[in-house]
Amino acid sequence: MRQLAAGVVDLRALLAFRSSGLNARSRRRLRIAAATVLVLTVAAAVVPAYLREPLQAEHARDLVAVLPSLYLGFAVLAALAAIGSGGGREVVPREQLVAFPVSAVTEHAGALLLAPLNIAWLLQTWALLGTTTYVLGPRNLVLVVVPLLLWVAVATALGQVVGWAFEAIRRGPNGTLVARGMVLVLSATIAALVATDQLTALLDNSPTVQVYLGAVYGSAAVWSRWLLAVGVLAALLAVVVLVGLVPARWALLRPLREEVRLESGYQRSRPSPGSDLAALLRIDRASIWRAVPLRRGLLVLGLMPGAVALTGSLEWGMITVLPGLVASGGALLFGVNAWCLDGRGALWRDSLPTDPRLGFAAKAIVLFEVLLASVAVTVLLASVRAGRPTATELAAVVMVALVVTAQVVAASLQWSVTSPYAVDMRSARATPAPPVVMVGYSARLSVRTTVVGLCFWLAALGPDWRVPVLLAVPFGCWSAYRLRRTAQLWAVPQNRARVVAVVAT
Amino acid sequence: MRFGTVEAVRGIDLSVLAGRATALLGRNGAGKSTTMRVLAGVIPPTEGSVLVNGIDVRHDPVGAKRVTGYCPDVGGLVPRATPWEHLQLAARLRRLDDWKERARDALDQFELGGVAHRVTGGFSHGMGRRLSVVLAAFHRPDVLLLDEPFDGVDPLGVDATQQVIADARTRGAAVLVSTHLRDLAVEVCQDALVLRGGAAVAGMPAVALVGDAGADTYRALLD
Repeated sequence: MRQLAAGVVDLRALLAFRSSGLNARSRRRLRIAAATVLVLTVAAAVVPAYLREPLQAEHARDLVAVLPSLYLGFAVLAALAAIGSGGGREVVPREQLVAFPVSAVTEHAGALLLAPLNIAWLLQTWALLGTTTYVLGPRNLVLVVVPLLLWVAVATALGQVVGWAFEAIRRGPNGTLVARGMVLVLSATIAALVATDQLTALLDNSPTVQVYLGAVYGSAAVWSRWLLAVGVLAALLAVVVLVGLVPARWALLRPLREEVRLESGYQRSRPSPGSDLAALLRIDRASIWRAVPLRRGLLVLGLMPGAVALTGSLEWGMITVLPGLVASGGALLFGVNAWCLDGRGALWRDSLPTDPRLGFAAKAIVLFEVLLASVAVTVLLASVRAGRPTATELAAVVMVALVVTAQVVAASLQWSVTSPYAVDMRSARATPAPPVVMVGYSARLSVRTTVVGLCFWLAALGPDWRVPVLLAVPFGCWSAYRLRRTAQLWAVPQNRARVVAVVAT
Repeated sequence: MRFGTVEAVRGIDLSVLAGRATALLGRNGAGKSTTMRVLAGVIPPTEGSVLVNGIDVRHDPVGAKRVTGYCPDVGGLVPRATPWEHLQLAARLRRLDDWKERARDALDQFELGGVAHRVTGGFSHGMGRRLSVVLAAFHRPDVLLLDEPFDGVDPLGVDATQQVIADARTRGAAVLVSTHLRDLAVEVCQDALVLRGGAAVAGMPAVALVGDAGADTYRALLD
């Protein structure tokens, strides 16, 4: 108990240290962002509840069958997010804390606190709240929302347990092999369930039905059952949070074997590059593909949405939304602070005699190709069960993949130049910008790419394949304009010096 | 040199002649690294004129970078690239032919030949420093800028770095060495410039800072 209390006190100290770096403007923006999230969360719970009657929604009953799966899906995605972030995000970067006795309790509590700072988490929470209150209506709304929020907390903590456990296994002897084996077995199981049509039956028996019933008891003011549901969820939350300490300690005590293997291993010597650009591209590509967290993150981003689309048999029209999701996720791995990959080598690189615009072009090309490769994997997987596309659908998917990738590259490089951060991307737990900033980035990227995806979805409905191609022209021009403007910013020595000085710190 | 409202370096009048090595000395925050970064063309000067081998850094930073070799004070290595890949990039951008043999010799001189194809992220601090010196010097620049080259380096690495400085001087390069280590600085340099609070407080022959008397002189200049 004393350890728990000390861990929480240490976490407060870390948060104070982190916030001490914020200036007045950043603090104001943080307060505005927090208030916006709060307002949107309340709106997500309240507005749909009052929409049911005016919409005379008879299909609301159909949604009831989906709700337990939605709750379960939230837990699954929370676990995937935790696995993707190497167990959980860190409040203060690891290299700044090496000299301090930070306990696993603090690390675990910090990771739990940061888990909601993620646009995917927020969107799912809002979807979960909104869909349920839409089904149940405005009666006793607060009582309806309480078990839902408790489930959100339980699922997040549960995801953290899975995330830490997976990271502990990955860091163990032959960890990479074991982790890949586990992923393969899980994928094969899901594929078998889908192939034998047993997945729906399994989801119908999901224990998350109890969460929905808790909300129903609240709506109907069945106090005893509601109290029981809330009590069970609260107890479950406490247990899961405490249980998470075990795998957290286990993971944090283990060495980063794969990272160490890569850093101490030898790379094959290749012939000298044939051009300046090729030389710069080689270094930039190495910075991505030799980084364990980036390589793993890109692989997960490419495979997971594709696998979900494959399982759900998405139609070609809906596939147009996927490239934006994947490209945004890829950019959030490192692209929004692209020069941080050079680390302290940024100073040396900038002392080499070359046109700075060439270095900028290399960063843009590498980011573009990496994101497009992930998008291609997703689209290819999704296309397996989507049937034969029409020419318009095919054109729409190809164009949206190119357009959103260019859009994400343009936005990412602009942020990289205007707001650089000193980050060591060696650990999967690190983020290329502070967690709060990452929420802003991910929100902006998600909104923009989803809007573009929906435009191409509409274009895919038409009979003429030239419409999506023509639609791509203005979007492409806008991204090219933004890239050119950022390249000009980068060419200004003062701007470049500022970025280099920050990332090389 | 200004960073916003902070005046990092001001009024430094520094000339380093060909074939001579000058030590840039001073306490932490004295402005040594900023001066080096300006000379390397990494930070544009906000005022004054900076000529490197006759090239105005402000107007032709790429030209200035072509004639300099710069070892930054912090790391200076791309974490996931190997020493050989660093050398390949530098050789390509500096338009070097027949550089491989020379590069191998330089790596061997600094005992880095065995790790030429290992990513630098796993290097110790000293190994990183030694490689930074190799990268600064292997193309035989006219102006060699070494910022804290002895920091955390073992005695063999110090010897190799001193040899690099001596070789550069012999072939007529101008060498500027920024360091905290007065003893080592006076061993390899002929001139010394002491900075304090972003300004030059004294320039003198390096021999004036040798021994106990030199240490007293240096300490007096720092306070």
